[in-house]
Amino acid sequence: MGLEKLKTILKNPISGNCLELRTPIIGASGTYGYESEFEDFIDLNCLGAVSTKGITLEKRPGNSGERLFEVQNGLINRIGLENIGINRFIAEKLPILESKNIDFLLNIAGSTEKDYETLALIANENKIKALEVNVSCPNVKQGCLEFGLNPEGLFKLIKLIRKNYEGFLIVKLSPNTTDIKPLASAVEKAGADCISAINTVRGLGVKINYNSNKFIKKCVSGGLSGGCIKPIALYMASEIKRVAKIPLIAIGGIATLEDLFEFIYVGADAFQIGSANFVNPSICSKLAQELNQFMIENNFSGFEELKKAIKE
Amino acid sequence: MEKKDYKGSVEQIEQIALETYKLIISSSLKEAIPGQFISILCPNKTLRRPFSIAHFDSEKNELTVLFKLKGEGTNYIANLKKGDVVNFLAPLGNGFELVNKKALLVGAGIGIAPMLFLKKELDKKNIDNYFIAGFKNNEEVIKGADKTVVGGSVLDDIDSIIEEKKIELIYSCGPNIVLKKLADIALKKNIESQLALERVMACSIGVCRGCVIKLIKKQEIVTASVCKDGPVFLGSEIIWD
Repeated sequence: MGLEKLKTILKNPISGNCLELRTPIIGASGTYGYESEFEDFIDLNCLGAVSTKGITLEKRPGNSGERLFEVQNGLINRIGLENIGINRFIAEKLPILESKNIDFLLNIAGSTEKDYETLALIANENKIKALEVNVSCPNVKQGCLEFGLNPEGLFKLIKLIRKNYEGFLIVKLSPNTTDIKPLASAVEKAGADCISAINTVRGLGVKINYNSNKFIKKCVSGGLSGGCIKPIALYMASEIKRVAKIPLIAIGGIATLEDLFEFIYVGADAFQIGSANFVNPSICSKLAQELNQFMIENNFSGFEELKKAIKE
Repeated sequence: MEKKDYKGSVEQIEQIALETYKLIISSSLKEAIPGQFISILCPNKTLRRPFSIAHFDSEKNELTVLFKLKGEGTNYIANLKKGDVVNFLAPLGNGFELVNKKALLVGAGIGIAPMLFLKKELDKKNIDNYFIAGFKNNEEVIKGADKTVVGGSVLDDIDSIIEEKKIELIYSCGPNIVLKKLADIALKKNIESQLALERVMACSIGVCRGCVIKLIKKQEIVTASVCKDGPVFLGSEIIWD
């Protein structure tokens, strides 16, 4: 099925920088692999982009021990940014993305400003079209989230990345803050083209079983995702849109066509699908088809018109 | 074979031991090898539930899994009726490598499931094998092994069995505590062990890195996902938590 109606242009109204997406549906970082891992299940052309697994300067082994804890309508993870590092990504994964014509956002994370600066430079040298800066991972000991919760520090960091990277610059914000507005403003002022939000919410999974006269305890602390965080994501999206003019890619518990409408209502211009990929590996394709079908049946000429109608 | 999202139907669901069920699914899945698994969608759960394939009938296109009741997910599956639709991803992971060596198969508890499938395939290839299974008590016994140990440890007589039967390779599935001991025994006796691990999984296809373990390969520590790189690993390469 042709999905021409779903063409989406994310445009920074301040600088005029644009990112053109085939559809507004993006596979969220950490749930979609490095490149074409989902091609057994879907036609990757229905995606606007794959947001890659978070990439750091050096490879990282991730956290030891249990990394997952299922909760009611959600999931806690503490993967710890396990990844192959930027050099292997450029050497092994980038050629696959290019040869298969898969649009992607390079998701990067660092422990220091220097890490982010070097990653931005490498992305720029390799003419990578879109960068998603992760300043919101709750699962690493150093850096990353530390940058994402302080407006002044975040401004400085994004400005530094902006100086070294010419492409479309997206910053992924954390919900683990009392007020997300100063962070969104700082990012916009520093020259970012777009905000994606939210990353996972800090959570603690606890399970206690009573067995043979003993309490068996299990605790997993990490980032909460899935349907249970949707109201938080909706709130954060609406808060961001109160202060930021740059486009917003919404993330957080999105799994149905109705969810897309709800996020459009609070200001989303595109969407990332995360934990729902674990339930249904073809969910991104299903959502693109359903959105397209809805627009055909109800005579919407394009995604912009649909967005306007929902927000009226 | 390409991984796919299958829509099968329940051919049979039956309780075969204490809190233990056998589920036969008919679907268009054409092939699978011992050690591979499927991942069943349980409505209202964020994660699918992975199960080793215990039998595959390529003429009828039917696969069998065995499972114990653990919580909401397995309760849902146990309550399915003949004809109900089952959504599952398959065939997942890498199975056992069948080698023409005298094999010892060790199934601990519900870990017997992939061993039952493996035993049939080894027999088909005329590979000499001896199959031992262990269970906590009589109520939990699943039949099919050459020797069934009830109570005590499935590993109690393992040294003498390896000597007597001149075992050259060990295959096993079960709790980590049993697999770790078997890996140590195999190393001491200088024989290969292929062990199928169980882990909580999210994506089932290697992308989320949620079910990762550490291996030692060529003196280097590497990570491997149980769902895609496993669930079968060489005992000599696994770094136990």
